[in-house]
Amino acid sequence: MAKVNKRVWLTFGSRSLVEKPILWQMARQYPDVSFDIRQASVTAEIGIMAVLFEGEPDEVAGALDYLKSRGLTVEPIEKNMIES
Amino acid sequence: MSYVRGLKCRECGQAYPEKGVHVCETCFGPLEVQYDYAAMRGKVTRESISAGPRNLWRYRDLLPINGTPRSGLHSGMTPLKRARNLEKVLGVRELYIKDDSANYPTWSYKERVVSVAITKAIELGYDTVGCASTGNLANSVAAHAAEAGLRAFVMIPHDLEQGKVLGSLIFNPTMVRIEGNYDDVNRLCSEIADKYRWAIVNVNLRPFYTEGAKTFGFEIAEQMGWKLPKHTVCPTAGGTILPKIYKGYREFIHLGLVEDNQPRIYSAQAAGCNPVVEAIQAGRDLIKPQKPKTIAKSIAIGNPADGFYVVQAVKESGGWGADATDAEIVDAIKLLARTEGTWTEPAGGTTLAATIKLIESGRIPRDESICVCITGNGLKTVEVVVDQLEPPASIPPSLDAFDRLMSGRATTETLPVAV
Ligand SMILES: Cc1ncc(COP(=O)(O)O)c(C=O)c1O
Ligand SMILES: [Zn+2]
Repeated sequence: MAKVNKRVWLTFGSRSLVEKPILWQMARQYPDVSFDIRQASVTAEIGIMAVLFEGEPDEVAGALDYLKSRGLTVEPIEKNMIES
Repeated sequence: MSYVRGLKCRECGQAYPEKGVHVCETCFGPLEVQYDYAAMRGKVTRESISAGPRNLWRYRDLLPINGTPRSGLHSGMTPLKRARNLEKVLGVRELYIKDDSANYPTWSYKERVVSVAITKAIELGYDTVGCASTGNLANSVAAHAAEAGLRAFVMIPHDLEQGKVLGSLIFNPTMVRIEGNYDDVNRLCSEIADKYRWAIVNVNLRPFYTEGAKTFGFEIAEQMGWKLPKHTVCPTAGGTILPKIYKGYREFIHLGLVEDNQPRIYSAQAAGCNPVVEAIQAGRDLIKPQKPKTIAKSIAIGNPADGFYVVQAVKESGGWGADATDAEIVDAIKLLARTEGTWTEPAGGTTLAATIKLIESGRIPRDESICVCITGNGLKTVEVVVDQLEPPASIPPSLDAFDRLMSGRATTETLPVAV
Protein backbone atom coordinates (compact mmCIF):
# COMPACT_ATOMS: atom_id res chain seq x y z
CA MET A 1 0.00 0.00 0.00
CA ALA A 2 1.08 3.57 -0.66
CA LYS A 3 2.59 5.55 2.17
CA VAL A 4 0.66 8.46 3.62
CA ASN A 5 1.68 11.72 5.30
CA LYS A 6 -0.21 13.06 8.30
CA ARG A 7 0.45 16.50 9.77
CA VAL A 8 -0.86 16.86 13.29
CA TRP A 9 -0.65 18.94 16.42
CA LEU A 10 0.15 16.91 19.52
CA THR A 11 -0.69 18.40 22.88
CA PHE A 12 0.82 17.02 26.09
CA GLY A 13 -1.71 18.62 28.40
CA SER A 14 -0.26 18.01 31.87
CA ARG A 15 3.00 17.65 33.74
CA SER A 16 2.62 13.89 33.96
CA LEU A 17 2.26 13.64 30.17
CA VAL A 18 5.20 15.97 29.54
CA GLU A 19 7.38 13.82 31.77
CA LYS A 20 6.77 10.53 29.96
CA PRO A 21 8.75 9.44 26.86
CA ILE A 22 5.54 8.82 24.93
CA LEU A 23 6.92 9.45 21.44
CA TRP A 24 9.75 7.02 22.06
CA GLN A 25 7.30 4.40 23.31
CA MET A 26 5.15 4.94 20.22
CA ALA A 27 8.20 4.48 17.99
CA ARG A 28 8.99 1.15 19.67
CA GLN A 29 5.47 -0.08 18.94
CA TYR A 30 5.31 1.34 15.42
CA PRO A 31 8.89 1.14 14.18
CA ASP A 32 7.86 1.67 10.55
CA VAL A 33 6.14 5.00 11.17
CA SER A 34 8.53 7.91 10.88
CA PHE A 35 7.91 11.17 12.74
CA ASP A 36 9.42 14.55 12.04
CA ILE A 37 8.97 17.35 14.59
CA ARG A 38 8.67 20.66 12.75
CA GLN A 39 7.85 22.93 15.65
CA ALA A 40 7.63 22.44 19.40
CA SER A 41 7.08 24.36 22.57
CA VAL A 42 7.42 22.43 25.78
CA THR A 43 7.29 23.63 29.37
CA ALA A 44 7.03 21.71 32.63
CA GLU A 45 3.25 21.78 32.48
CA ILE A 46 2.33 21.56 28.84
CA GLY A 47 3.87 20.66 25.51
CA ILE A 48 2.68 21.35 21.95
CA MET A 49 4.30 19.91 18.83
CA ALA A 50 3.68 20.09 15.11
CA VAL A 51 4.63 16.67 13.78
CA LEU A 52 4.70 15.01 10.35
CA PHE A 53 3.99 11.26 10.45
CA GLU A 54 4.72 9.00 7.50
CA GLY A 55 4.09 5.34 6.85
CA GLU A 56 1.50 2.78 5.72
CA PRO A 57 -2.05 4.11 6.33
CA ASP A 58 -2.92 1.48 8.96
CA GLU A 59 0.35 1.93 10.76
CA VAL A 60 0.02 5.72 10.90
CA ALA A 61 -3.57 5.43 12.11
CA GLY A 62 -2.43 2.92 14.74
CA ALA A 63 0.38 5.18 15.91
CA LEU A 64 -1.99 8.16 16.28
CA ASP A 65 -4.52 6.03 18.13
CA TYR A 66 -1.75 4.88 20.42
CA LEU A 67 -0.86 8.51 21.21
CA LYS A 68 -4.53 9.27 21.94
CA SER A 69 -4.75 6.23 24.19
CA ARG A 70 -1.83 7.62 26.17
CA GLY A 71 -3.76 10.85 26.78
CA LEU A 72 -2.32 13.17 24.16
CA THR A 73 -4.61 15.46 22.16
CA VAL A 74 -4.10 14.66 18.48
CA GLU A 75 -5.51 17.13 15.97
CA PRO A 76 -5.06 17.79 12.27
CA ILE A 77 -2.87 20.83 11.56
CA GLU A 78 -6.08 22.35 10.23
CA LYS A 79 -7.70 22.29 13.64
CA ASN A 80 -11.06 23.82 14.44
CA MET A 81 -12.51 23.20 11.05
CA ILE A 82 -15.90 23.56 12.67
CA GLU A 83 -16.56 27.10 13.69
CA SER A 84 -19.59 28.56 15.27
CA MET B 1 -4.11 49.30 -6.35
CA SER B 2 -3.24 46.71 -3.74
CA TYR B 3 -0.68 47.01 -0.99
CA VAL B 4 -0.48 43.25 -0.43
CA ARG B 5 2.99 41.73 -0.71
CA GLY B 6 2.22 38.04 -0.36
CA LEU B 7 1.97 35.72 2.62
CA LYS B 8 4.46 35.00 5.37
CA CYS B 9 4.76 32.29 8.05
CA ARG B 10 4.11 33.74 11.49
CA GLU B 11 6.54 31.31 13.10
CA CYS B 12 9.56 30.94 10.80
CA GLY B 13 9.07 33.89 8.44
CA GLN B 14 9.11 31.96 5.19
CA ALA B 15 7.43 33.84 2.32
CA TYR B 16 4.61 32.41 0.15
CA PRO B 17 2.73 33.77 -2.88
CA GLU B 18 -0.84 34.96 -2.50
CA LYS B 19 -2.95 31.85 -3.00
CA GLY B 20 -5.19 29.39 -1.19
CA VAL B 21 -2.65 28.11 1.30
CA HIS B 22 -2.74 28.59 5.04
CA VAL B 23 0.06 26.68 6.76
CA CYS B 24 3.80 26.81 6.27
CA GLU B 25 5.18 23.75 4.51
CA THR B 26 8.25 23.77 6.73
CA CYS B 27 7.05 24.40 10.28
CA PHE B 28 3.24 24.10 9.86
CA GLY B 29 2.83 27.58 11.36
CA PRO B 30 -0.05 29.82 10.20
CA LEU B 31 0.46 32.18 7.25
CA GLU B 32 -0.33 35.86 7.46
CA VAL B 33 -0.86 38.53 4.79
CA GLN B 34 1.99 41.03 4.37
CA TYR B 35 1.36 44.66 3.38
CA ASP B 36 3.63 47.43 2.18
CA TYR B 37 2.85 49.97 4.89
CA ALA B 38 5.52 52.39 3.69
CA ALA B 39 3.71 52.68 0.35
CA MET B 40 0.46 53.47 2.21
CA ARG B 41 1.86 56.51 3.99
CA GLY B 42 0.19 59.69 2.78
CA LYS B 43 -2.17 57.67 0.57
CA VAL B 44 -4.24 55.80 3.13
CA THR B 45 -5.56 58.70 5.19
CA ARG B 46 -8.58 59.65 7.27
CA GLU B 47 -9.87 61.50 4.21
CA SER B 48 -9.36 58.58 1.81
CA ILE B 49 -11.17 56.24 4.19
CA SER B 50 -13.99 58.70 4.93
CA ALA B 51 -14.58 59.09 1.21
CA GLY B 52 -15.13 55.33 0.83
CA PRO B 53 -18.42 53.42 0.77
CA ARG B 54 -20.51 53.06 3.94
CA ASN B 55 -19.59 49.41 4.40
CA LEU B 56 -16.53 47.47 5.48
CA TRP B 57 -14.85 47.98 2.10
CA ARG B 58 -14.03 51.58 3.05
CA TYR B 59 -10.91 49.89 4.55
CA ARG B 60 -10.06 47.95 1.40
CA ASP B 61 -6.51 49.37 1.25
CA LEU B 62 -5.86 47.42 4.45
CA LEU B 63 -7.60 44.26 3.24
CA PRO B 64 -6.05 41.50 1.10
CA ILE B 65 -7.89 41.87 -2.18
CA ASN B 66 -6.62 42.98 -5.57
CA GLY B 67 -9.75 43.58 -7.64
CA THR B 68 -13.17 44.94 -6.76
CA PRO B 69 -15.10 43.73 -3.72
CA ARG B 70 -17.52 40.95 -4.70
CA SER B 71 -19.26 40.34 -1.42
CA GLY B 72 -20.31 42.27 1.67
CA LEU B 73 -21.28 45.48 -0.10
CA HIS B 74 -23.78 46.07 2.70
CA SER B 75 -21.84 44.48 5.54
CA GLY B 76 -20.01 46.25 8.32
CA MET B 77 -20.37 49.86 9.48
CA THR B 78 -22.49 48.66 12.37
CA PRO B 79 -23.48 51.02 15.19
CA LEU B 80 -21.00 52.19 17.79
CA LYS B 81 -23.18 53.39 20.64
CA ARG B 82 -22.30 55.46 23.65
CA ALA B 83 -23.90 53.36 26.41
CA ARG B 84 -24.99 56.06 28.86
CA ASN B 85 -27.53 53.95 30.74
CA LEU B 86 -25.07 51.14 31.23
CA GLU B 87 -22.44 53.66 32.32
CA LYS B 88 -24.71 54.60 35.22
CA VAL B 89 -25.42 51.00 36.20
CA LEU B 90 -21.74 50.02 36.10
CA GLY B 91 -20.42 53.26 37.56
CA VAL B 92 -18.02 54.03 34.72
CA ARG B 93 -17.37 57.28 32.88
CA GLU B 94 -17.17 56.38 29.20
CA LEU B 95 -18.57 53.14 27.81
CA TYR B 96 -19.25 52.13 24.19
CA ILE B 97 -21.00 49.17 22.59
CA LYS B 98 -19.77 48.12 19.15
CA ASP B 99 -22.86 46.36 17.92
CA ASP B 100 -22.43 43.60 15.33
CA SER B 101 -25.81 42.14 16.27
CA ALA B 102 -26.83 44.58 13.52
CA ASN B 103 -24.37 43.31 10.91
CA TYR B 104 -26.05 42.56 7.58
CA PRO B 105 -27.10 40.03 6.26
CA THR B 106 -26.91 37.33 8.98
CA TRP B 107 -26.34 39.39 12.12
CA SER B 108 -22.91 38.51 13.42
CA TYR B 109 -19.29 39.59 13.15
CA LYS B 110 -18.74 36.72 10.70
CA GLU B 111 -19.95 38.95 7.82
CA ARG B 112 -16.59 40.69 8.04
CA VAL B 113 -14.40 37.63 7.60
CA VAL B 114 -16.74 36.01 5.08
CA SER B 115 -16.96 39.14 2.87
CA VAL B 116 -13.20 39.12 2.47
CA ALA B 117 -12.96 35.34 2.02
CA ILE B 118 -15.68 35.21 -0.67
CA THR B 119 -14.16 38.10 -2.59
CA LYS B 120 -10.79 36.38 -2.39
CA ALA B 121 -12.26 33.04 -3.46
CA ILE B 122 -13.63 34.64 -6.64
CA GLU B 123 -10.32 36.39 -7.24
CA LEU B 124 -8.42 33.11 -6.92
CA GLY B 125 -10.80 31.42 -9.35
CA TYR B 126 -12.81 29.17 -7.02
CA ASP B 127 -16.44 28.45 -7.89
CA THR B 128 -17.28 26.64 -4.66
CA VAL B 129 -16.93 27.89 -1.11
CA GLY B 130 -17.47 25.94 2.05
CA CYS B 131 -17.19 25.75 5.77
CA ALA B 132 -17.96 23.46 8.66
CA SER B 133 -19.95 25.24 11.27
CA THR B 134 -22.50 25.03 14.04
CA GLY B 135 -24.12 28.39 13.38
CA ASN B 136 -23.05 31.94 12.62
CA LEU B 137 -20.27 31.12 10.17
CA ALA B 138 -22.48 28.78 8.11
CA ASN B 139 -25.29 31.35 8.01
CA SER B 140 -22.91 33.98 6.72
CA VAL B 141 -21.16 31.78 4.14
CA ALA B 142 -24.49 30.52 2.77
CA ALA B 143 -25.93 34.04 2.44
CA HIS B 144 -22.86 35.68 0.89
CA ALA B 145 -22.32 32.77 -1.51
CA ALA B 146 -25.96 32.95 -2.66
CA GLU B 147 -25.58 36.65 -3.41
CA ALA B 148 -22.23 36.17 -5.16
CA GLY B 149 -23.54 33.28 -7.26
CA LEU B 150 -21.09 30.71 -5.89
CA ARG B 151 -21.83 27.15 -4.92
CA ALA B 152 -21.78 26.73 -1.17
CA PHE B 153 -21.03 23.55 0.77
CA VAL B 154 -21.91 23.73 4.43
CA MET B 155 -21.02 20.87 6.71
CA ILE B 156 -22.60 20.53 10.13
CA PRO B 157 -22.58 18.08 13.01
CA HIS B 158 -25.69 15.89 12.75
CA ASP B 159 -27.29 16.96 16.04
CA LEU B 160 -27.62 20.72 15.55
CA GLU B 161 -30.63 22.77 16.67
CA GLN B 162 -33.25 23.49 14.02
CA GLY B 163 -32.81 27.25 14.15
CA LYS B 164 -29.15 27.00 13.28
CA VAL B 165 -29.85 24.60 10.41
CA LEU B 166 -32.64 26.74 8.91
CA GLY B 167 -30.56 29.91 9.22
CA SER B 168 -28.30 28.45 6.55
CA LEU B 169 -30.71 26.24 4.59
CA ILE B 170 -32.89 29.18 3.58
CA PHE B 171 -30.03 30.39 1.36
CA ASN B 172 -29.98 27.03 -0.42
CA PRO B 173 -26.44 25.79 0.07
CA THR B 174 -25.62 22.12 -0.24
CA MET B 175 -25.76 21.05 3.37
CA VAL B 176 -24.33 17.84 4.69
CA ARG B 177 -24.95 16.52 8.17
CA ILE B 178 -22.02 14.56 9.43
CA GLU B 179 -22.70 11.69 11.77
CA GLY B 180 -20.03 11.77 14.39
CA ASN B 181 -18.66 13.78 17.24
CA TYR B 182 -16.81 17.05 16.99
CA ASP B 183 -13.46 15.34 16.43
CA ASP B 184 -14.83 13.15 13.65
CA VAL B 185 -16.31 16.14 11.86
CA ASN B 186 -13.04 18.05 12.20
CA ARG B 187 -11.02 15.20 10.77
CA LEU B 188 -13.37 14.60 7.86
CA CYS B 189 -13.45 18.29 6.97
CA SER B 190 -9.71 18.54 6.94
CA GLU B 191 -9.63 15.58 4.55
CA ILE B 192 -12.27 17.20 2.34
CA ALA B 193 -10.31 20.48 2.33
CA ASP B 194 -7.24 18.54 1.23
CA LYS B 195 -8.95 16.63 -1.53
CA TYR B 196 -11.47 18.94 -3.23
CA ARG B 197 -10.52 22.21 -4.88
CA TRP B 198 -12.90 24.23 -2.77
CA ALA B 199 -12.34 27.42 -0.89
CA ILE B 200 -13.02 26.43 2.69
CA VAL B 201 -13.20 29.93 4.11
CA ASN B 202 -11.73 29.27 7.54
CA VAL B 203 -9.19 26.70 6.33
CA ASN B 204 -7.34 27.24 3.06
CA LEU B 205 -8.51 30.87 2.84
CA ARG B 206 -7.81 31.50 6.51
CA PRO B 207 -5.03 34.09 6.04
CA PHE B 208 -7.41 36.28 4.00
CA TYR B 209 -10.53 35.46 6.00
CA THR B 210 -9.04 36.49 9.34
CA GLU B 211 -7.93 39.88 7.97
CA GLY B 212 -11.60 40.80 7.56
CA ALA B 213 -11.95 40.90 11.35
CA LYS B 214 -9.67 43.95 11.47
CA THR B 215 -12.58 46.01 10.18
CA PHE B 216 -14.30 45.59 13.56
CA GLY B 217 -11.40 47.52 15.10
CA PHE B 218 -11.11 50.02 12.25
CA GLU B 219 -14.75 50.95 12.64
CA ILE B 220 -14.44 51.43 16.38
CA ALA B 221 -11.53 53.83 15.83
CA GLU B 222 -13.19 55.81 13.05
CA GLN B 223 -16.58 55.97 14.77
CA MET B 224 -15.03 57.23 18.00
CA GLY B 225 -13.78 60.19 15.96
CA TRP B 226 -10.37 58.76 14.99
CA LYS B 227 -9.52 57.74 18.54
CA LEU B 228 -9.06 54.40 20.25
CA PRO B 229 -10.82 53.25 23.38
CA LYS B 230 -8.30 52.66 26.15
CA HIS B 231 -9.87 49.28 26.96
CA THR B 232 -11.52 46.86 24.51
CA VAL B 233 -13.21 43.68 25.71
CA CYS B 234 -13.70 40.98 23.11
CA PRO B 235 -15.00 37.37 23.12
CA THR B 236 -12.66 34.51 22.21
CA ALA B 237 -13.56 31.22 20.52
CA GLY B 238 -11.09 30.08 17.85
CA GLY B 239 -9.07 33.23 18.43
CA THR B 240 -9.62 35.12 15.18
CA ILE B 241 -11.27 38.35 16.17
CA LEU B 242 -9.30 39.50 19.22
CA PRO B 243 -5.80 39.58 17.70
CA LYS B 244 -7.23 41.13 14.52
CA ILE B 245 -8.99 43.98 16.34
CA TYR B 246 -5.69 44.66 18.05
CA LYS B 247 -3.83 44.44 14.74
CA GLY B 248 -6.34 46.91 13.25
CA TYR B 249 -5.63 49.36 16.08
CA ARG B 250 -1.85 48.96 15.63
CA GLU B 251 -2.14 49.51 11.86
CA PHE B 252 -4.09 52.75 12.36
CA ILE B 253 -1.48 53.90 14.89
CA HIS B 254 1.35 52.96 12.53
CA LEU B 255 -0.24 54.91 9.67
CA GLY B 256 -0.74 57.95 11.89
CA LEU B 257 -4.54 57.77 11.65
CA VAL B 258 -5.02 57.66 15.42
CA GLU B 259 -2.88 58.63 18.37
CA ASP B 260 -1.15 55.81 20.24
CA ASN B 261 -2.97 55.72 23.58
CA GLN B 262 -1.55 52.26 24.26
CA PRO B 263 -4.86 50.47 23.88
CA ARG B 264 -5.39 47.37 25.99
CA ILE B 265 -7.38 44.37 24.88
CA TYR B 266 -9.13 41.79 27.07
CA SER B 267 -10.40 38.30 26.31
CA ALA B 268 -13.83 37.14 27.48
CA GLN B 269 -14.82 33.47 27.66
CA ALA B 270 -17.50 31.35 29.26
CA ALA B 271 -16.42 29.68 32.50
CA GLY B 272 -17.48 26.37 30.94
CA CYS B 273 -14.96 26.82 28.13
CA ASN B 274 -12.14 29.15 29.14
CA PRO B 275 -8.84 27.71 27.86
CA VAL B 276 -7.51 31.10 26.76
CA VAL B 277 -8.57 33.04 29.85
CA GLU B 278 -7.17 30.25 32.00
CA ALA B 279 -3.79 30.53 30.23
CA ILE B 280 -3.76 34.33 30.55
CA GLN B 281 -4.55 34.19 34.25
CA ALA B 282 -1.97 31.45 34.85
CA GLY B 283 0.67 33.42 32.96
CA ARG B 284 1.12 30.68 30.37
CA ASP B 285 1.52 31.10 26.58
CA LEU B 286 0.29 27.62 25.71
CA ILE B 287 -3.33 26.57 25.80
CA LYS B 288 -4.54 23.49 27.66
CA PRO B 289 -7.39 21.89 25.66
CA GLN B 290 -10.79 21.63 27.39
CA LYS B 291 -14.13 19.90 26.85
CA PRO B 292 -16.68 22.74 26.52
CA LYS B 293 -19.76 22.86 28.74
CA THR B 294 -21.63 26.14 28.43
CA ILE B 295 -24.74 27.75 26.95
CA ALA B 296 -22.42 30.05 24.98
CA LYS B 297 -22.21 27.58 22.10
CA SER B 298 -20.95 30.04 19.51
CA ILE B 299 -17.76 30.52 21.52
CA ALA B 300 -17.38 26.98 22.87
CA ILE B 301 -14.09 25.94 21.30
CA GLY B 302 -12.00 23.87 23.67
CA ASN B 303 -8.72 23.93 21.75
CA PRO B 304 -8.61 27.18 19.79
CA ALA B 305 -6.47 27.27 16.63
CA ASP B 306 -5.26 30.81 17.30
CA GLY B 307 -5.49 30.83 21.09
CA PHE B 308 -1.76 31.38 21.36
CA TYR B 309 -2.07 34.63 19.38
CA VAL B 310 -4.88 35.83 21.62
CA VAL B 311 -2.60 35.38 24.64
CA GLN B 312 0.18 37.24 22.81
CA ALA B 313 -2.02 40.22 21.89
CA VAL B 314 -3.50 40.45 25.38
CA LYS B 315 -0.07 40.30 27.00
CA GLU B 316 1.55 42.75 24.60
CA SER B 317 -1.23 45.28 25.17
CA GLY B 318 -1.24 44.97 28.95
CA GLY B 319 -4.77 43.55 28.98
CA TRP B 320 -6.19 40.57 30.83
CA GLY B 321 -8.91 37.91 30.63
CA ALA B 322 -12.12 37.14 32.50
CA ASP B 323 -14.75 34.43 32.30
CA ALA B 324 -18.46 34.27 33.11
CA THR B 325 -20.77 31.52 34.32
CA ASP B 326 -23.90 30.63 32.35
CA ALA B 327 -26.07 32.49 34.87
CA GLU B 328 -23.88 35.59 34.61
CA ILE B 329 -24.07 35.38 30.81
CA VAL B 330 -27.88 35.36 30.83
CA ASP B 331 -28.00 38.22 33.37
CA ALA B 332 -25.70 40.27 31.15
CA ILE B 333 -27.82 39.58 28.04
CA LYS B 334 -30.84 40.89 29.96
CA LEU B 335 -28.93 43.86 31.34
CA LEU B 336 -27.74 44.96 27.89
CA ALA B 337 -31.24 44.64 26.48
CA ARG B 338 -32.85 46.58 29.31
CA THR B 339 -30.31 49.38 29.44
CA GLU B 340 -29.28 49.84 25.83
CA GLY B 341 -31.94 48.19 23.67
CA THR B 342 -29.53 45.66 22.18
CA TRP B 343 -30.39 41.96 22.20
CA THR B 344 -27.27 39.87 21.90
CA GLU B 345 -26.57 36.15 21.96
CA PRO B 346 -24.51 34.44 24.70
CA ALA B 347 -21.20 35.52 23.13
CA GLY B 348 -22.21 39.13 23.77
CA GLY B 349 -23.52 38.29 27.24
CA THR B 350 -20.18 36.69 28.02
CA THR B 351 -18.32 39.81 26.91
CA LEU B 352 -20.44 42.18 28.97
CA ALA B 353 -20.31 39.90 32.03
CA ALA B 354 -16.52 39.68 31.71
CA THR B 355 -16.32 43.47 31.35
CA ILE B 356 -18.24 43.89 34.59
CA LYS B 357 -15.81 41.56 36.36
CA LEU B 358 -12.78 43.38 34.96
CA ILE B 359 -14.21 46.69 36.20
CA GLU B 360 -15.15 45.35 39.61
CA SER B 361 -11.76 43.74 40.12
CA GLY B 362 -10.04 47.01 39.24
CA ARG B 363 -8.36 45.64 36.10
CA ILE B 364 -10.23 48.25 34.07
CA PRO B 365 -10.31 51.67 35.76
CA ARG B 366 -13.76 53.29 35.98
CA ASP B 367 -12.63 56.62 34.57
CA GLU B 368 -11.11 55.45 31.27
CA SER B 369 -12.83 54.72 27.95
CA ILE B 370 -14.12 51.15 27.49
CA CYS B 371 -15.52 49.42 24.40
CA VAL B 372 -17.53 46.19 24.68
CA CYS B 373 -17.54 44.10 21.48
CA ILE B 374 -20.99 42.66 20.78
CA THR B 375 -20.53 40.07 18.04
CA GLY B 376 -23.87 38.28 17.60
CA ASN B 377 -27.66 38.59 17.72
CA GLY B 378 -30.02 37.29 20.42
CA LEU B 379 -32.79 36.32 18.00
CA LYS B 380 -30.73 33.30 16.99
CA THR B 381 -30.54 31.95 20.53
CA VAL B 382 -33.98 32.42 22.07
CA GLU B 383 -33.51 29.15 23.99
CA VAL B 384 -31.18 30.76 26.52
CA VAL B 385 -33.73 33.32 27.69
CA VAL B 386 -37.07 31.64 27.06
CA ASP B 387 -37.40 30.42 30.65
CA GLN B 388 -35.80 33.50 32.14
CA LEU B 389 -38.37 36.14 31.26
CA GLU B 390 -41.61 36.96 33.08
CA PRO B 391 -44.50 35.90 30.83
CA PRO B 392 -46.86 38.75 29.91
CA ALA B 393 -50.20 39.18 31.70
CA SER B 394 -53.34 38.10 29.86
CA ILE B 395 -56.64 39.93 30.38
CA PRO B 396 -60.10 40.10 28.85
CA PRO B 397 -60.58 42.96 26.35
CA SER B 398 -62.09 45.46 28.81
CA LEU B 399 -60.83 48.71 30.28
CA ASP B 400 -61.99 47.50 33.63
CA ALA B 401 -59.72 44.47 33.47
CA PHE B 402 -56.87 46.66 32.39
CA ASP B 403 -57.46 49.08 35.26
CA ARG B 404 -57.45 46.19 37.69
CA LEU B 405 -54.20 44.97 36.22
CA MET B 406 -52.64 48.41 36.56
CA SER B 407 -53.64 48.71 40.17
CA GLY B 408 -52.00 45.40 40.82
CA ARG B 409 -55.17 43.59 41.95
CA ALA B 410 -55.42 41.28 38.97
CA THR B 411 -51.88 40.09 38.91
CA THR B 412 -52.62 36.84 40.70
CA GLU B 413 -55.40 35.97 38.23
CA THR B 414 -53.36 36.46 35.10
CA LEU B 415 -52.47 33.53 32.99
CA PRO B 416 -49.03 33.11 31.55
CA VAL B 417 -48.97 33.13 27.81
CA ALA B 418 -46.87 30.60 25.98
CA VAL B 419 -43.92 32.32 24.31
C1 LIG C 1 -21.10 35.53 17.87
C2 LIG C 1 -19.66 35.18 17.92
N1 LIG C 1 -18.85 35.93 18.67
C3 LIG C 1 -17.56 35.66 18.78
C4 LIG C 1 -16.98 34.60 18.17
C5 LIG C 1 -15.54 34.37 18.46
O1 LIG C 1 -14.73 34.30 17.49
P1 LIG C 1 -13.23 33.88 17.26
O2 LIG C 1 -13.31 32.50 16.73
O3 LIG C 1 -12.85 34.89 16.27
O4 LIG C 1 -12.42 33.96 18.53
C6 LIG C 1 -17.77 33.79 17.35
C7 LIG C 1 -17.24 32.68 16.56
O5 LIG C 1 -17.07 31.63 16.59
C8 LIG C 1 -19.16 34.08 17.25
O6 LIG C 1 -19.98 33.30 16.50
ZN1 LIG D 1 7.04 28.40 8.96
